Amino acid sequence: MPARSLLDVDDLSPAELVAVLDRAVAFREVLPPRDLLAGVPVLNLFFEASTRTATSFTLAEQRVGADVISFAPGASSLGKGETIADTALTLYGIGVRVIVVRHQQSGFARRLADAFEGHVINAGDGTHAHPTQALLDLMTLRQEFNRFDGLRVAIVGDILHSRVARSNIVGMRAMGIDVTLVGPPTLLPREFGAGGVRIERDFDAVLPHVDAVMMLRIQRERITGGLLASLDDYTLRYQLNRARLRSLGGSAMILHPGPYNRGVELTDDVLDDPRSRYVAQVHNGVFVRMAVLDLLVNGVPVAA
Amino acid sequence: MTTLVRGGRLIDPLQGIDAVRDVLIENGFVAAIGEHLDANDARVVEAGGAIVAPGFIDMHVHLREPGQTHKETIASGTAAAVAGGFTAVACMPNTEPALDSAAIVSEVMRRADAAGLARVYPVGALTRARAGTELAPYHLLADAGCVAFSDDGSTPRDARLLRNAARYAADLPCVFISHCEDPDLKGDAVMNEGEASMRLGLDGAPGLAEDVIVARDLLIAADTGKAWHIAHVTTATSLDLIRWARARGVRVTCEVTPHHLAFLDDRFDDYRADAKVNPPLRGSHDREALRAAVLDGTVDVLATDHAPHGADEKAQLLSAAPVGFTGLEIALGAYALALPELTLGRFVELLAVNPARILGVPGGTLAVGMPGDVSVFADRPWTVDARLFRSKGKNTPFDGLVLPRRALATIVDGAVVFEHGRVLPREEVTA
Repeated sequence: MPARSLLDVDDLSPAELVAVLDRAVAFREVLPPRDLLAGVPVLNLFFEASTRTATSFTLAEQRVGADVISFAPGASSLGKGETIADTALTLYGIGVRVIVVRHQQSGFARRLADAFEGHVINAGDGTHAHPTQALLDLMTLRQEFNRFDGLRVAIVGDILHSRVARSNIVGMRAMGIDVTLVGPPTLLPREFGAGGVRIERDFDAVLPHVDAVMMLRIQRERITGGLLASLDDYTLRYQLNRARLRSLGGSAMILHPGPYNRGVELTDDVLDDPRSRYVAQVHNGVFVRMAVLDLLVNGVPVAA
Repeated sequence: MTTLVRGGRLIDPLQGIDAVRDVLIENGFVAAIGEHLDANDARVVEAGGAIVAPGFIDMHVHLREPGQTHKETIASGTAAAVAGGFTAVACMPNTEPALDSAAIVSEVMRRADAAGLARVYPVGALTRARAGTELAPYHLLADAGCVAFSDDGSTPRDARLLRNAARYAADLPCVFISHCEDPDLKGDAVMNEGEASMRLGLDGAPGLAEDVIVARDLLIAADTGKAWHIAHVTTATSLDLIRWARARGVRVTCEVTPHHLAFLDDRFDDYRADAKVNPPLRGSHDREALRAAVLDGTVDVLATDHAPHGADEKAQLLSAAPVGFTGLEIALGAYALALPELTLGRFVELLAVNPARILGVPGGTLAVGMPGDVSVFADRPWTVDARLFRSKGKNTPFDGLVLPRRALATIVDGAVVFEHGRVLPREEVTA
């Protein structure tokens, strides 16, 4: 039987997802002994630069006692023409049992997992998926509201290029969250409306009615070919700023996957706002990743 | 040399024949059509229970030679052709170097003769090195044997150059064949733009990328009077544009491929490149429009866009992997799978009559005096195993599928070059 991997949130059943969050909460309250993955070689394979995700995974791996190898393959064998299958075979042969992988291209984690005998955890593949980010977002939401069902969440901005948005759509829908996507038509094509997700263009109309708003980064390097007129033009309609903070409910919550562009999708006021949960998100990230490692390698008992 | 194809159901729309008939071929030409013809010492192909048709012509094939012989050679590609039921192929000019000089075209024809299997009709480049900036030497290329011109794989961005090309080549019979994809609208797409591409986080090409170039080329065809053939049409809108142009008297024909008829853009969840092709597999609205257009006569030709690649090349990441896959050896079955309601008469028109007419090559009928090129096939289910292909390209999205129709025997110039599952090169003919 092939080893389990986490390529997107829907690799977990709803019950498993909840179990992972429960386990993460337990780890946050009391750190487990550092032997859950004692002696398991875990490779962090980050083809794309990362600060928070790479650090968070590394800390999570160390806290469960794994043998951590971190590698940023600028010009790895894959760049020299070796196939994914050969790389996977080699890494398993060396002894690696878990690969945490980030890559610029959608689907890389899937291709690696299909060739690798060990576990693969997707730490972000192109614009496709970033499941541990979605899990930590769900954990942060549940921490605040103690429920998922019926929560109303708006995800705002460059949906087209966002793996965070895609994974959150999958995870939130699985948990019964009412998801509204907000953005301009070029960055939020109507095809995203499949599967019970609402599409809105008018941020101001949405803001008063949501329990949480997730602000996505404008990925300036991908904004080519007329996707936006200008950042000014974008911020007029989609920036979360002081004026818009007033129409957001008092008990609502602001999420941001980071890194943020101050002055673009949000202003300094947002980061100073007590409803902002950015620090809680990154804090929870470590425990979610510990729980995922534990689930994949050791299995997690799921209540029937 | 005499060959007798005996006891098959002959489908020859140009002669109005759909009946059990024997076909006698002498010295490479059809000598007689009749019932119970005398075999004498003829080489006999038993076609009882099978269907006999004028030789099938696949007018969209990449033979990869010269320059990419790890993908395919003229010998391996024509072996695949005859095994797939084709007596002739038109080979596209995106070789290395491109088919943009008489010398290269002559060499391709010499190697095709040496292979001794299917006839090969070279398609000359539309622009030098297919770079889209200078016209290829059309008269020299036509003299060398080119039957059409195309920059297949891409399209010239420069509409003025394309218009001048059509004016310059207006008095040559060679049709222009368009690969219609706007490079800007297509961008870095690896698949069709739609719900699937959005969900998977993959760059998608909208059908619009095809439609705008189809519209441009049809208008240039109307302006210049040049006969034009739209390769691998994939969208409902392109078909509507073609109908519109035809109604206005534009000389336009078009083809569709087996993969666009059979598959949808739902084959990328594993992020493998096996179904990556240009233009991409589309959604169900477009696919249904393609099927309907074959049945209603809008589509003139079925062509495979046979595009072999090495297994390692196709195993790369989606963005890096080349486009296309092999088609010659699954074609007959794939068409029958996708279009079960297609009549045999129409099938033969799409595969023999119309390609011969559009390319201006002999064939399309087995009337007495015509070349002795015959395709014998039957509606017998078989399972595709790409490892067994004669083509060097072992990649096809049809791999593992059960197809309802298959080639049984192929006769070129009176010589049996495929029978009983074996490819049989002609012996060297001494002058």
